[in-house]
Amino acid sequence: MKSPRISPETLRVLESFLERPTGWHYGYELSRETKLKSGTLYPILMRLEKHKLLEARWVATQDGVPPRHTYRLTPDGLELARTQLEEARSRWMVRQPALSRG
Amino acid sequence: MQEMPLRQAATLLLEYAIRIAPPESREWGQAMRGELNFVEGHWAALMWALGGAGMMVKYALISIFIPGRGQGIPPGDELFAKNVSLGKAALVGGAGCVLAALLFFGAPPFRQAFRVALRPWYVMFQIPSGDSQHGFQALAKRADSQHDPEGLAFCAVRIDNPRESARLAEEAVRLNPNLLWVYAVVGMRHPELPQTGSWMARLEQWDAQNSLFHLIEAESMEFAHYRRGVWTPATQEQEQAWQAAMAAAFQSARFDDYLERVAELNRKVIPHYGFYDPYEVESREQLDLPVAAFENSQRFAKSLLRSGEDLEAQGDRKSARDKYWAIARFGQMVDSQGRTGFEHLTGTSLQAMAYKALQASSERGDNGAEAVLFGYLAAKFDPVSGEHPGFPRESAFGLNTARRNAAVVQISGLMILVCSALLVIAAAILVVGRLSSQGTRPAAGRAKPVATLILSSSAVGLLFSSATLYLTYRPYWYIFQSAVLNGGRSQARDLIYFLNETKLPAGVSPRSYLLVHSLVYSGSPNFLFYVWTGVTLLGLIGLALILLRHFLSRPSVNRLQNHPRVP
Repeated sequence: MKSPRISPETLRVLESFLERPTGWHYGYELSRETKLKSGTLYPILMRLEKHKLLEARWVATQDGVPPRHTYRLTPDGLELARTQLEEARSRWMVRQPALSRG
Repeated sequence: MQEMPLRQAATLLLEYAIRIAPPESREWGQAMRGELNFVEGHWAALMWALGGAGMMVKYALISIFIPGRGQGIPPGDELFAKNVSLGKAALVGGAGCVLAALLFFGAPPFRQAFRVALRPWYVMFQIPSGDSQHGFQALAKRADSQHDPEGLAFCAVRIDNPRESARLAEEAVRLNPNLLWVYAVVGMRHPELPQTGSWMARLEQWDAQNSLFHLIEAESMEFAHYRRGVWTPATQEQEQAWQAAMAAAFQSARFDDYLERVAELNRKVIPHYGFYDPYEVESREQLDLPVAAFENSQRFAKSLLRSGEDLEAQGDRKSARDKYWAIARFGQMVDSQGRTGFEHLTGTSLQAMAYKALQASSERGDNGAEAVLFGYLAAKFDPVSGEHPGFPRESAFGLNTARRNAAVVQISGLMILVCSALLVIAAAILVVGRLSSQGTRPAAGRAKPVATLILSSSAVGLLFSSATLYLTYRPYWYIFQSAVLNGGRSQARDLIYFLNETKLPAGVSPRSYLLVHSLVYSGSPNFLFYVWTGVTLLGLIGLALILLRHFLSRPSVNRLQNHPRVP
């Protein structure tokens, strides 16, 4: 069955995770890398987490500072990210033949 | 200096939003709160908090309105489903507001209110449709072409130009002789017309015993002395003719100003031609006794009083009292059968005058009881202090309320125009952005949040202004309906006060308005045309430059984001 098209914002988040596939990422760090605002980024993270494509954990900080939430892709998430990015790149190259040749 | 409070505000905002968010989403709110301490720059922290708070509020609203959705995931919780952003929600809400505002245009009171709200601009820019006389002239042409006597009569009694008014009246009567009464109404407005004498002669045969025709005749005779701005004294014959006309008026059995027939004519003509102009009510106020009729009646009554006093001095008390009673009876007739404030004033002042004379006569005749009664009646009908004031107090709201409501209506009308213009601009930006983005997020999308904000706030403003305009004007719509279609005069004064106030832009004094108006129109009559053409051209050039800049910058837009890297 053909999978539905993923949103460009989600692609950017997955792309950012794939920079360090096994590393843990902070929300603010992802926001800076993807240029997405908090109101756009966190719903994407919530969805990924709900579908078990992302795992999250709390990291303690210094006293008096609230703990930080940190994220990394699960093996399923990594597989999906690679597939989706590959598909997206193929679609883009079909649409932009001149650029793909160059 | 202001950075710390900004960060504090950001923290407070986000913490408050977490508190109102559904329990399932709070952990994510706390996640954003945790990151807030690491956001570089206090303004950036505030923007971070705003984004997070917006998300929390959205989830809170979703959990309220769609209980099944209270899972912390917004609508479309499938992984690949497109996220319903606040921007989209704003666009949908904006579209709803615009639709609701457009529905107001379906209501006739709103359409009339909108025209009234734009009235000062019609007058300012000399748009012909703002001139009620222009409307009457156009209507007269239509009625003429349709050979519609009632339409012609409707215009005849309102058009200011005496010759045109007379022509229309004669044509209306030629087509339908039952409209002969139109001569009386036109005669009341234009007693200077040369046809007045012949018209009144016909009317006296048609409706015998109506004192109105004699009053108009007397008025017409007064105008005969006024030529090119100079009053010439009346000859003896002219004075005798005037006295005879007034005596006939005082002896007549009835007084009918035909305003009931005018109201009946309104009921037929206004719906037929769709001529729903509230300023028409104002013009109807002019369908009143001629101003000089009051003076003529007073002058003739005084001559009767003098004559009565002479008779009393000669010992003929009975004949003297007959003259006083003639004044009282005529006053009572005009007061009770008249329909306008001016007619009531004429009637009551004559009665007061007559009862005072009768009181004095009774005192001279040592009839104390009668003197007390006449004294009471004289006080009762006194136009100034009596309990029967000459001009009925028809205004229920008062001038200040009329002024305030007129300002609200004008500002609402202006806001509707401004919001509509902003809506069109914002929608154009969004459409252009969408067409040029080709489904991805280009740099052009930078304008999207601003355009969305403008669009949604303009839509809310449009709806709010429309509702305010409708609710403020609604009472005047009912007064208009009652006055024009049913001939009701209750609260007509309120409508007239209100309409007068709408002729000038809110907050502008008549003096400054006239000054600006004279300055604007002192030069070329086409001055405004050139100004507005220039403004429009500048706007178009600006728009073209924006579009040119936008399209020229397209190829370099976000190339990286459209071309995702594959590890």
